[in-house]
Amino acid sequence: MRPRMNPILIFFAVAAALPMFFGATGLFYDAFQSIFVFALVGLGLNIITGFTGMLNLGMAAFMAIGAYAFAILTCDIYPFQVGFWSGLLLSGFIGALAGFLIGAPTLGLSGDYLAIVTMGFGEITLDVLKNLEAITKGTQGINPLPRPTIGGWTIELQDERSWYYLLLLILGVAVLFVRRLERSRTGRAWLSIREDALASQCMGIPPKRTRMIAFATGSAVAAVGGALFAALLSSTGEPNSYDFQVSILVLCIIIVGGMGSVAGTLVGAAVMVGMNAIVLVKLADLFGSREQGASSNVLASPNNWKFLIFGLALILVVRVKPEGLVPPRLEGESGAQPPAPPKSQSGAAAQGAGA
Amino acid sequence: MSLLEVRDITMRFGGLTAVDGVTFDLHQGEILAVIGPNGAGTTTLFNAITGVYQPTQGSVKFRGAEVRRSPDLKLAVRTAVVGILGAISTFMALNAQEIWTAAIDANYLLDKPFPWHKALADAWATARAAPLVWGIIPAMVGGVLGAATVLALWQRLRRTPDLIARAGLARTFQNIRLFTDLSLIENVLVGMDSRLRCGYWTNVLRLPAFSRERSRSTAEAMELLAFVGLADRAHAAAGSLPYGHRRRLEIARALASNPTVLLLDEPAAGMNPSEVTSLMQLIQRVRERGVTVILIEHHMKLVMGISDRIVVLQYGRKIGEGTPQEIQADRRCIEAYLGAEDEL
Repeated sequence: MRPRMNPILIFFAVAAALPMFFGATGLFYDAFQSIFVFALVGLGLNIITGFTGMLNLGMAAFMAIGAYAFAILTCDIYPFQVGFWSGLLLSGFIGALAGFLIGAPTLGLSGDYLAIVTMGFGEITLDVLKNLEAITKGTQGINPLPRPTIGGWTIELQDERSWYYLLLLILGVAVLFVRRLERSRTGRAWLSIREDALASQCMGIPPKRTRMIAFATGSAVAAVGGALFAALLSSTGEPNSYDFQVSILVLCIIIVGGMGSVAGTLVGAAVMVGMNAIVLVKLADLFGSREQGASSNVLASPNNWKFLIFGLALILVVRVKPEGLVPPRLEGESGAQPPAPPKSQSGAAAQGAGA
Repeated sequence: MSLLEVRDITMRFGGLTAVDGVTFDLHQGEILAVIGPNGAGTTTLFNAITGVYQPTQGSVKFRGAEVRRSPDLKLAVRTAVVGILGAISTFMALNAQEIWTAAIDANYLLDKPFPWHKALADAWATARAAPLVWGIIPAMVGGVLGAATVLALWQRLRRTPDLIARAGLARTFQNIRLFTDLSLIENVLVGMDSRLRCGYWTNVLRLPAFSRERSRSTAEAMELLAFVGLADRAHAAAGSLPYGHRRRLEIARALASNPTVLLLDEPAAGMNPSEVTSLMQLIQRVRERGVTVILIEHHMKLVMGISDRIVVLQYGRKIGEGTPQEIQADRRCIEAYLGAEDEL
């Protein structure tokens, strides 16, 4: 077996080195900041859908809950003002709580029904955010949000390189968190439920409890992603920034990257969001320079191609590499623990095989 | 006293009675075979014993008691908490804007310290002033939620498969149900789950208890894989195993929970004669580990070769019970299953 590099380490090494090749500001940072944020939300969905096998079509709602919780707790138009880091942590907890509340009555449902429920939850969340104007400021969004401080040093909004590394760091912590869970009793229980819920239950794993824990964990990670999304803009944006399309984008990320694969989620986010934030923007420039009256032609605005390209990417991946760009790997297969030579236990094996 | 007392188990699916009043005992340390023609209700009986189905009638006692969660104070407390919280949050949801405005917006001035006590008092006053109908709806919602919780928790009091597995009855499946995308050792470790103690945060923070448990459980899992002769493929995907080996992995997975009773559902199905022979040895060795075995099997060489007692089912009814010699001599059993001699 040839030794393989750990794709997660490669991702972080490349991401840490990239800013050296770019200036201190620019399009590059915009793109990567959203890649990191969506990678976080993707990690959350990867726990729920990739590990535990519960199709969740309402991930944007948990992002929104995280963003609004963060905003209400930290924005200076409200009396709470807990500060950036506590706000981030608390929005994670509130996300987990929201996951518990929506999960408790619904996680007994199987596959498709749960997908419908989560989709409905996403829509309800949007409506609540729009209409609860006294608290959420309706469609204006809440702003301004505080900037993070590290030991007395404040990262300003314009300081894009620092933001880049801050997000990379938080993403790294989240990846470590998810990987550690995956490679433990907790994660094995999730995977076993995805593989065969009945067999898993007959092995003594309580299905509902295990699903709840997965759902709450995934929601918490996504809520932190949402909080960072808001912090980056210094505003929650309008509630429509968390609509169904966002949920689908996140689902595309984990399908393209590889269901149940942490490395795949990172790569999927880079591909899907990167396409959105780099390729489409470049295309827009191209069309804009070539043709001044671009608005007359629908196709001239690459934003209108977005979903065409997403759809094509999805079809291509599902047709050509259905397990995703970086499919999940078995533990111990990575070369850290070389597999025993085939006939090392020949006595037991021969007796075992009996053939 | 027998280890497992199956009393008068009846399973009806609509008009079909799959198992009809089956009663038998399982004694410590024996190998009991349940045989019967296809459709005789053997697998249904297994599913009823392991909690996959709720028996229509009858009881299964393990070590003299039914395996169930017992209703306790916690149930009542949880119901009350859910009901009350449901009522409160519904009330808050209905009046959220008014309460928020009165408590926060009215009291908060930018850069002035926020008067928390006054805000709470204002919130309370606003809540008190809410029209009565805003009180009735939350009370109803709370009641419904409380009732739903009672129902949900009541369901948990049933004999669920996870509870029964934790009590010490492990099983395999007729149509092999492995976790095919997990490695062999992970399959066994899932089976061991009920014996592992590390919680969520221990796993996340990798506390010392985690490493200790990991090395211990990995060693035990490897030992079990060696026991069934699959240790050399411990890190391969379970889905990559050939058929005969999957059966063995299922047995290792079931043994991982240190069960008292192992239920094997047609372990020899689809095996060639030499695989059957080695399976028989394996089952004998399982018994030598101190595990009591019940198995469903159609392979007569295996059944007659290793079982201490046999229960024969036909059309869901028990038609015979005894040692292999007695069954082979029993006319009804022969006619039902072993094949009647032609009497022309």
